[in-house]
Amino acid sequence: MFKTGIGGKLTLKLDDAELGVLSQLFEQMWELLEDPENELGVDPLAKMLNMSGSTQISEDPALARLFPDGYSDDEHASADFRRFTEQDLRAQKVTALSVAQETLKDWKGKSSITGQQAQDWLKALNDLRLVLGTRLEITDEMDTDFDADEPGIHLYNYLTYLQGTLIDSLT
Amino acid sequence: MSAMPVEDLAIDLLTDLPWITLVWNDPINLMTYVTYVFQSYFGYDKPKAELLMLDVHEKGRAVVSSGTREEMERDVAAMHSYGLWATLQKDD
Repeated sequence: MFKTGIGGKLTLKLDDAELGVLSQLFEQMWELLEDPENELGVDPLAKMLNMSGSTQISEDPALARLFPDGYSDDEHASADFRRFTEQDLRAQKVTALSVAQETLKDWKGKSSITGQQAQDWLKALNDLRLVLGTRLEITDEMDTDFDADEPGIHLYNYLTYLQGTLIDSLT
Repeated sequence: MSAMPVEDLAIDLLTDLPWITLVWNDPINLMTYVTYVFQSYFGYDKPKAELLMLDVHEKGRAVVSSGTREEMERDVAAMHSYGLWATLQKDD
């Protein structure tokens, strides 16, 4: 869990089981965020100009949730918005993920967390919850306590708890 | 950086309708997280951020900012980076 100690210093404490689960989820997130165009030999100039982004929302509901449309009523504007912003959004998500992952390297059970690291953890944990929640088809009406024995829900509830402790520490 | 085509810019100059950023309700993002994002990105105080969050939760969506199209595209991109479900549109 995240906890603010004496003097306002933020620390993260994870036991081996938590470390294992998070490391595994972060690995899977990498695979999900990997840019499919990287392997297709995209025009390097277009890539440099940040113009090589796709224009279509993903058919994978989890990716569609991470990279939603910018306009609800204008397909053309949405495509333009995506072309100019998706690469950057992906890069931001990858950065947050790597910062969180880096914290867990040579894990000693406990680590102090800087303000910037906390922001990246917040985003990385939220992205994980979005992907897992979408896969589990979480709804507003769903009582996740009731189904807590289901492994996916159990994991989702853990991420909710962990993110909750971080938000509490930051506010 | 803007995805705004030139012809739309011309139209914008003829109308004074501002653009708005909407945040939509979703069952996954925590209420405390959404409030935190509104506070830290828009700089809203806690009561205002909570009110907006409740609007999103109860009414399904809320207008969280307004301005030029370019500004709203920036806000929507920022909301997406936090994992909030946001879109922009002309205020009508």
